[in-house]
Amino acid sequence: MLSSIAKPFAALALAAALISIVLAALGASPVGVFAALGEGAFGNWYACVDTVVKSTPLVFTGLAVSLAFSGALWNIGADGQLTIGAIAAGAIGPHLGNFPHAIAIAIILAAGSLGGALWGGVAGWLRARRDVNEVIGTIMLNFVAVQALSWVVHGPLMEPSRAYPTSSPIARAAQLEFYFAPSRINLGMLLAVVLAAACYLLLFRTGAGFELRAMGRNRRAATFFGIRIPALTFWAMTLSGALAGLGGAVQISAISHRLYEKLSPGWGFEAIAVALVARLNPLGIIPAAVLFGALDNGSQAMQRTQGISPELVQVIQGLVILIILAFDTPAWSGLREQIFGAPPDAAAVPPVAEMPDA
Amino acid sequence: MLRANAITKRFGRTLALDAVDFEALPGEIHALVGENGAGKTTLMNVLAGSLAADHGEAVLDGRPLQAGSPRAALAAGIAAVHQSPMLFERMTWEENLALGGFDTGAGALDLDAIAVRARALAAKLGFEMPPATATVENRSVAERVRLEVLRALSFNPRVLILDEPTSVLAPSELTAFLDLLRNLRGEGRIVVLITHKLAEAIAVADRITVLRRGRVAARTTPAETNEKKLAGLMIGEIVTQPAASATPSRSGDPVLQIENLTLDDHVGRRILDRLSFRVAAGEIVGIAGVDGNGQTELVELLAGVRHPSSGKITVLDGSPGSMAVIPQNRDLDGLILDMRLWENLVLARPLREQVTSHGWLNTSHAVDLCRELIDRFRIRAPGPETIAGALSGGNRQRLEVARAIASRPRVIVAHNICRGLDLAATAEVHRTILDFSTGGGAVLLISSDLDELLAICGRLLIISRGKIRETNPGERDPERLGLLMAGARD
Repeated sequence: MLSSIAKPFAALALAAALISIVLAALGASPVGVFAALGEGAFGNWYACVDTVVKSTPLVFTGLAVSLAFSGALWNIGADGQLTIGAIAAGAIGPHLGNFPHAIAIAIILAAGSLGGALWGGVAGWLRARRDVNEVIGTIMLNFVAVQALSWVVHGPLMEPSRAYPTSSPIARAAQLEFYFAPSRINLGMLLAVVLAAACYLLLFRTGAGFELRAMGRNRRAATFFGIRIPALTFWAMTLSGALAGLGGAVQISAISHRLYEKLSPGWGFEAIAVALVARLNPLGIIPAAVLFGALDNGSQAMQRTQGISPELVQVIQGLVILIILAFDTPAWSGLREQIFGAPPDAAAVPPVAEMPDA
Repeated sequence: MLRANAITKRFGRTLALDAVDFEALPGEIHALVGENGAGKTTLMNVLAGSLAADHGEAVLDGRPLQAGSPRAALAAGIAAVHQSPMLFERMTWEENLALGGFDTGAGALDLDAIAVRARALAAKLGFEMPPATATVENRSVAERVRLEVLRALSFNPRVLILDEPTSVLAPSELTAFLDLLRNLRGEGRIVVLITHKLAEAIAVADRITVLRRGRVAARTTPAETNEKKLAGLMIGEIVTQPAASATPSRSGDPVLQIENLTLDDHVGRRILDRLSFRVAAGEIVGIAGVDGNGQTELVELLAGVRHPSSGKITVLDGSPGSMAVIPQNRDLDGLILDMRLWENLVLARPLREQVTSHGWLNTSHAVDLCRELIDRFRIRAPGPETIAGALSGGNRQRLEVARAIASRPRVIVAHNICRGLDLAATAEVHRTILDFSTGGGAVLLISSDLDELLAICGRLLIISRGKIRETNPGERDPERLGLLMAGARD
């Protein structure tokens, strides 16, 4: 557990070192750039809050992706599922004015989850029953979701004045309020944390979670021991979609309050990186999402004060992922053990050749 | 002459090879025998360049071989056939052979020419090749081994090293295969045969080197030794306990009943043809057959992985968890190698239900259960949290058997459970199975190893081309049974 957290940070440090070389070559001061990055992400209370706000959708989509990936279901469609969830929330939100606050919140979040569940479930059904590879299924459904969003904000859900391609704002009752205004801190992040814990328990402390992980590690063996692959595939994709859709609803309820085109800047795709950095561990999703949120947030300050393009942040993100994955190879493990000591697993488990038969 | 001079190879804390000297002469079949973990395969890998030795060197005809380079070893004329087939599963057999030494000239890939050459060589050796453009993943284990042998021979090597090539061959194929080895010897090649079938080593080898725990325990010839002596040399002491003894079948109540079981594949080819048989409580029934005659599919039907085209499988008086299946490929089908031991244990549904209540997995309960089984079945592992892939083959099999027994089934179906296990581990697995049957359990043992079946089965069935036939209870002549396995009629 400890080492699984330490490793990504070591990778981050290595990425920073590589970036420093690039920055120095470009004539910028690496120290100044990274200071600005840190300042922008965590420099003061509002920066911290903004980082949290930026990372919240990544927690939801990251959980969605890690859940599906745990079963070796390559859900590339968290973005589409989030979008459909947001559409459901944005469609029902304006009509919740007469409900008590708590009920309205429950309804709008449930609508988002159902929307996402539907979108994930379709991909899951296609995989389970029609043998359509879920990678293709989810990517195609992403396109449909993006176009659906574009259509509803130009069509059925367009605001009454018909001046802007947005939906009507959701009712006040259905909005997650900001605490400590003007900061945008809200209950969404707390919900995300609770869900991360719930996903952890589901995966590692329930029979169903065990079956999902078993399917992910060895589908053939899972089949041999009576695990019902098609049903598990469908429900895992449905749940994964529900998590992403819930993220969309939280975004509508707490932050944007209405639908507009290009609502998601790619949270569902960034989530894949988040999930990989977290090694699919739901508890690791939170720090991983905050890391990516901080990079996003800090990049603006970096751009302002140092004149560095925010694209460079994406270069950093890419390097972090590549280096983390590289840390997993045998070539690195020797170096890794020298730096961090042997991982706990390796200490308990001698290599194969060390245990001859009795 | 192939020489290994004082080869030492260490994996972590284990000394796999400890200053091993080995020598094989042209025109010689040299058998290398030893238990699992004795270092046979490591030695082969060093000679074939797949592994670099820590100390020592391999020398062929006075020229040292470049360490750790399979390419250099191949160029020098050393070809190896590995124990687990190293084939590209999702490619055709012709494509697999394209990586061999069938030179098709021009540099362009000519699969037809390769197929023609392959068939010619196969015919010379008494092999039959699969139909054109058949994908390897759909072929039997025996066919894969043949394909590998053919690929190795395509390089026209001076030295051919074979790691347990015969374990998947039928008796009839075995004779032909041993003749093939003799032919290669007659051509002046060096043949190194790794095996733990001692009779085979004595039958075909000119000299025998025995490895034990990474050291050469003895160098001998068939003339001056026998199976018993060799077994003693391998293990270090004479195994006195009989592995097991076949008990005549008692007529308990039938537990497993198969009626007219038929399976057609997706192109309508008949894989299993109206199988009907019963297994009674307290009975061990063996199904003997050459791999690829429908056994894998039968096991899949019994495990519920596939559904029959027609016919019925009934476990009488049993709940759904009353059959435990031990599939033949433990690393692919039976275990999840990168999960922990206790997780592999609860893969079995009855055990999972035992440690699950209201959907929650009681992990500490599962860990305790696993610890208990590790002790009871003497599985050599640091503990329940060990990753299954860290266990040796024998211990993986103990884990599988332990899991099956602990599930408290009425019937155990086991497929080639002792393949690749050494004598001690085999005896232990057999004893466990016998104990289960003595306790009133029904056992269906499917194996291509006739000796194994004759040793512990009360009743023997033969499967050939998807059909099953019963043998006479008194029929114990391996040669005759071998003919039946190969598809002969009375």
